[in-house]
Amino acid sequence: MKLSREVAELLKAGVIEQDTADRIEQYYLTKAGPPQNKLVIVFGILGSLLVGLGIVLILAHNWDELSRSIKTVIAFIPLLAGQAICGYTLFRQQDSITWREAGSTFLVMAIGACIALISQIYNIPGNLSSFLFTWSLLTLPIIYVMRSSVASLLYLCGITWYACETGYWGYPERESYLYWGLLLLALPHYYNLYKKHSESNFFTFHNWFIPISVITVLGTVATGFEELMFIAYMSLFGVLYQIGNTTILREQKIRNNGYLVLGSLGSVALLLGLSFDWFWEDLRTKEFSTEAMVSSPEFITAVVLTLAATALLVYQKKRESPFTIKPVELVFLLLIGIFFVGMTSPFVTILINLLVLAIGILTIREGARHNHFGILNYGLLIVTVLIICRFFDTNLSFILRGLLFVAVGLGFFYANYWMARRKKRVKSEE
Amino acid sequence: MNQKITIPAFFLMVLAQLYVPASMIFQKERVIAQGTAYKFRTAPIDPNDPFRGKYITLSFNETGVKVENAEEWNNADEVYVFLTTDSNGYAMIQSIIKEQPKGSDDYIKANIDYIMTDTLSTVFVRYPFDRFYMEESKAPVAETIYNEAAIDSNQVAYALVMVMNGDAVVRDIFIDDVSITEVIRKEQNKVK
Repeated sequence: MKLSREVAELLKAGVIEQDTADRIEQYYLTKAGPPQNKLVIVFGILGSLLVGLGIVLILAHNWDELSRSIKTVIAFIPLLAGQAICGYTLFRQQDSITWREAGSTFLVMAIGACIALISQIYNIPGNLSSFLFTWSLLTLPIIYVMRSSVASLLYLCGITWYACETGYWGYPERESYLYWGLLLLALPHYYNLYKKHSESNFFTFHNWFIPISVITVLGTVATGFEELMFIAYMSLFGVLYQIGNTTILREQKIRNNGYLVLGSLGSVALLLGLSFDWFWEDLRTKEFSTEAMVSSPEFITAVVLTLAATALLVYQKKRESPFTIKPVELVFLLLIGIFFVGMTSPFVTILINLLVLAIGILTIREGARHNHFGILNYGLLIVTVLIICRFFDTNLSFILRGLLFVAVGLGFFYANYWMARRKKRVKSEE
Repeated sequence: MNQKITIPAFFLMVLAQLYVPASMIFQKERVIAQGTAYKFRTAPIDPNDPFRGKYITLSFNETGVKVENAEEWNNADEVYVFLTTDSNGYAMIQSIIKEQPKGSDDYIKANIDYIMTDTLSTVFVRYPFDRFYMEESKAPVAETIYNEAAIDSNQVAYALVMVMNGDAVVRDIFIDDVSITEVIRKEQNKVK
């Protein structure tokens, strides 16, 4: 173990006493709980997932030489087996993450196989959304009874698919408001992970799955005022960005912080989309009935999300120095103003282009400040993509466009070279 | 969660997970045992379902019904369909209503598929049973047989459906009064 090596070294160098060394080792032993082999956990989960999916496929063959009653009994076998494995885990292997997660994964798959086979036996019509809904609902208790994070992740996938099936692909297309209730039901487990296991991989996975799920499903709210969804989405990205900047998530590596990455990428992508005039041209010619708009679900969603993002922004600003501006944190508020300008004036695309440019520059500055190549290049990338977008719809001459590209390309070289040198200098000063 | 709550919670979970599929089975078994049988003329195709294997999609000939005022009905709305039989004994729609009927259990809950207004004034419904699952090797054969039956006007394809209290179960598909499973078996024997 890395820790015991370090402790032995400190002991040898006379930095700490034997007594302290013992106490340090004891502390980490009790903190970590019983040792768990990560590889075994991963293979246990993958194995269960594959076996479970295999069973679903084998049952899907539809063995029509078997009688209806035998097929019905067969449908319950994987389910009962899964429940037995979970029961055994609860009574005998409660502390083993491998048993808990692998058993739960298998049970989730077995539930799906059971309902699917029954639908098949009785030729129950192909309403995929009600199938997914029942499956997800029966998966929910596994999360809490088995304290299983994989069940929670599968549940999140299930409800997301359910919401898409109802809201985007289903006929008749309906709103999937139930999704939000189902999502809330998964949050206590997430909160528990945040409180007790914020360094675990399962927490990281949730930090990606939850925002991706919400981003995917938010669009199902739209009915007749789709334009307002741009504000709703921008505020959602604002909320995600602020959550990603909270202390516990900020301490994580950027790749583990789904909120921050998605919040930032989403804001920039949306702005780039809006930097073309087609959207605004459409908006300017459209006639709105204010009354209908104010009572539309899109408007309410946009208001709620904007308020939430603002509240989080104020909360964050109170905790840290209020005058340092992070690249995309104010974008959602600015977009509202820009939106009103856009309803009457074609001037709006210039504003958006300036805004994206500002974000790019602020990001480059942040990268330079934190000596982070990734952030620095992300900033440069924003500027580059902005220029590529303008490549398509402006009447700039080829020479000017060419010069712009050369300038940004040189910028890439220079910025990276400059930072590499600075890093080297800082290192040599140490 | 401590052991005192976990154990009862576990058993509750197990019960719920068994109850839901079991209740699906009981409901459908009741329709099969006590429902009224109707023959629906069909024309099938063969798609694929990721979870439930191969099936034949059923599309029915008799899905329209004349109404007094087509403007009163909306696409995708839920309706209750009363059935009757034509002179050849195949199911056809007698009438549709918006509210769940009381006093009778011989009806199907369906959705409006599309509406023809003006002089035609007809509402077309989409039945809640549009699939018949077959063993994966047989579904493509079934498709060929069906397409042949559809072209050949002398052959008649229909689905036998049990109907009760708005619910319905497809029992079998017949081509000229022979079960599709039987037709396929004969076809496969011929090849051998």
